Amino acid sequence: MKVHRKKRLINILLLSLLSGSGVLMVLYALNSNLDYFFTPSELITEEISDNRRVKVGGMVLEGSVDRDNTTINFTITDYSETVDVSYTGIVPDLFKEGSGVVVLGYLNEGKLDAEKVLAKHDENYMPPALKEK
Amino acid sequence: MILDIAHYLSILSTAIFMLTFTLVLILDRSVSHSTLLIKRSYSHAFLLFLISFLLYVYLALTDNFSVSYIAQHSNSLLPNFYKVTSIWSAHEGSMFLWIIFLSLWGFIFNLSTDRDLKVKNLSIGIISIIIVGFQLFLLITSNPFEVVLPFAPENGADINPVLQDPALAIHPPTLYLGYVGFVIPFAYALAFLINKDQSIEWEKKVKSWSVMAWVFLTIGISLGSWWAYYELGWGGYWFWDPVENVALMPWLAATAFLHSLSVASKSNVLRIWTLLLSIIVFSLSLFGAFIVRSGIIDSIHSFANDPQRGMYLLAFIAVILFVSLGLFASRLNMFESSKNIKALSKESFISLNNIFFGVLIFSTMMGITYPLIYELIYDQKISVGAPFYNAIYAPITILATMILVISIDSRWGRTIDTGRSFNMLYISLAMGLIGLSLIRYFAGDMSFIIMISFLMGLIIIFRYLILVVKNILEKKYINTPSVIAHTGLGLLILSISANSILSSEKVFNMKPNEVREFENIRIEFNDLELLNNSNHDSIKATFALDANGKSFYLSPEKRKYFARGQITSETAIKIMPMRDIYLTIGEQLEGGQWVVNVQLNYFIRFIWFSAAMMAFSGLLIISNIIRRKS
Repeated sequence: MKVHRKKRLINILLLSLLSGSGVLMVLYALNSNLDYFFTPSELITEEISDNRRVKVGGMVLEGSVDRDNTTINFTITDYSETVDVSYTGIVPDLFKEGSGVVVLGYLNEGKLDAEKVLAKHDENYMPPALKEK
Repeated sequence: MILDIAHYLSILSTAIFMLTFTLVLILDRSVSHSTLLIKRSYSHAFLLFLISFLLYVYLALTDNFSVSYIAQHSNSLLPNFYKVTSIWSAHEGSMFLWIIFLSLWGFIFNLSTDRDLKVKNLSIGIISIIIVGFQLFLLITSNPFEVVLPFAPENGADINPVLQDPALAIHPPTLYLGYVGFVIPFAYALAFLINKDQSIEWEKKVKSWSVMAWVFLTIGISLGSWWAYYELGWGGYWFWDPVENVALMPWLAATAFLHSLSVASKSNVLRIWTLLLSIIVFSLSLFGAFIVRSGIIDSIHSFANDPQRGMYLLAFIAVILFVSLGLFASRLNMFESSKNIKALSKESFISLNNIFFGVLIFSTMMGITYPLIYELIYDQKISVGAPFYNAIYAPITILATMILVISIDSRWGRTIDTGRSFNMLYISLAMGLIGLSLIRYFAGDMSFIIMISFLMGLIIIFRYLILVVKNILEKKYINTPSVIAHTGLGLLILSISANSILSSEKVFNMKPNEVREFENIRIEFNDLELLNNSNHDSIKATFALDANGKSFYLSPEKRKYFARGQITSETAIKIMPMRDIYLTIGEQLEGGQWVVNVQLNYFIRFIWFSAAMMAFSGLLIISNIIRRKS
């Protein structure tokens, strides 16, 4: 093999090695930082560890909203299963009983400690996972 | 009647843009009389389209609710300003504005003079056919001229209240101007490739156009961030929402493009790479449009879902990518094997910078598309949030800034004078370390990555400070735009780091006349008032605050808009040099208590200020180019 060809081959190998490991690192970062989206029914059937952040979407069960000082407790339902949520802070303006909500947080003994409560800026919003059913 | 005229003018304009493209194809592009014909044809197509848009604005201003889109998004109670901005508050109108801006860039470019007639005419042809593609998209899938049948409603459904805001009124137009502005370098690059004459310095010709588009994109993104901060009530400035990310990707690509553009025009290397980047920047802009318009990704602020629109845009982007990349690949041999880049020269540093930008763009793209792929394979919905982006952006930015501070004082085509330049670097490193220990002393414990971020931010600023002082003393040339933009980057890193460790918040339940304390701030709930405004009612809570011996009032509101019955919160913000005090009220509880949220957001103003510094540096570059020409 000629010298400049050999050099080029080494360059190409190095480049693919570098970009390959770069892609792997990005994928690794992705996999360790995913938020899984569940409906209450899926939440009950899946095995989920407490230190895994999850997103749960559903409707706020009528009559379930209960306030305790600055903490708000409510139940999310997909009309077959339910999950209890507890959150400290201001809930969005469109948060109300019987309307759609997405909660981001950690499971704690079957109860969801919410970091964030999202209600879509649209009165007719339904979480996509519910719409399919 | 006026509506029909506007509609016909749009269709006619599409036909004339098509004609312009055909003229470019069939005429001899190197002679001046065909140039004149092409120029006139383009101008007429644009002016007809502009008139069509202005008529549409008139229809919106005069409350013509027989137009379905205006009926759905405007209201007779709206102030005139918002009647106009309601046009771009939803899909069809935004698309209309998008194409107006696209053709406007082409129009101004069309008026500019250029000695290389062939390339110029080809570019006009390429711009025209892209406009036709979008106009057909508008007229076929998203027609803003549709009529409500059989009777016009008495009043419109109103613009979404959170969009009734000055920042949001100018945010979309600025962002669009940025996105579509990259059509000029894109079209010029393709024309250059078709023309096969590598002596034409296309990089110099597209520089001011590209910088201008970049300035608009920078301002547009910052305005969006600023609006989200005070309007959504979450107190953040960036949420890594897909819609934000698709705006960030073209910005990153464009920033890389501008850097490589300067290399390609100064030292004739990286030319192929720069051509590829011009294609990538424009494609990413189109990709952004596709993601936002198709509703394929569930975002907090995505537009209405419509699979037909998504399919059209996807096909359109695919054609553009296929043609431009195909052309690019077939012309790779038109360049003589380029010179090697000398190690530690300015070119080599900018090449490294481009790699870092590439990694950020790739990762962001993965973050956006991974949930789609994942759901397809595993049938499990996932989302990728801030932790992923932080894990990528923080280390890459730190690495990139390390290269940046080393590269200051590097020269084109020559190895950097390590001795002299590194002495300056050591001094800035020492100053940075002193600064960091001061920050640690006052701010307390922090994570390693934040410490490094602080250090890098400080080093950038000190290193440029030394450069400026030294060059003034030695009466040497200072590249002012570069100094301002990069100091802005340093400030951005500092303020983001400071914001992330210092900011805090607390939620209280309070009744009027009650007092609470938070971080040495005394908060007294004074009273509640009910206000009636032209298109909404509001509950206004007034708080008296006492912070560091300063007393002032803050009045957050809850509003109920009549037309949609939608409830919104208005935050109240006290802006101080180092921090914002940010107050929102939630719902009323039993017993007359209100949920009150207090946030202290540190150095948040500096984040937008540093973005403004970057945008300003772009304007300086353009004014320098214009001055040199005249």
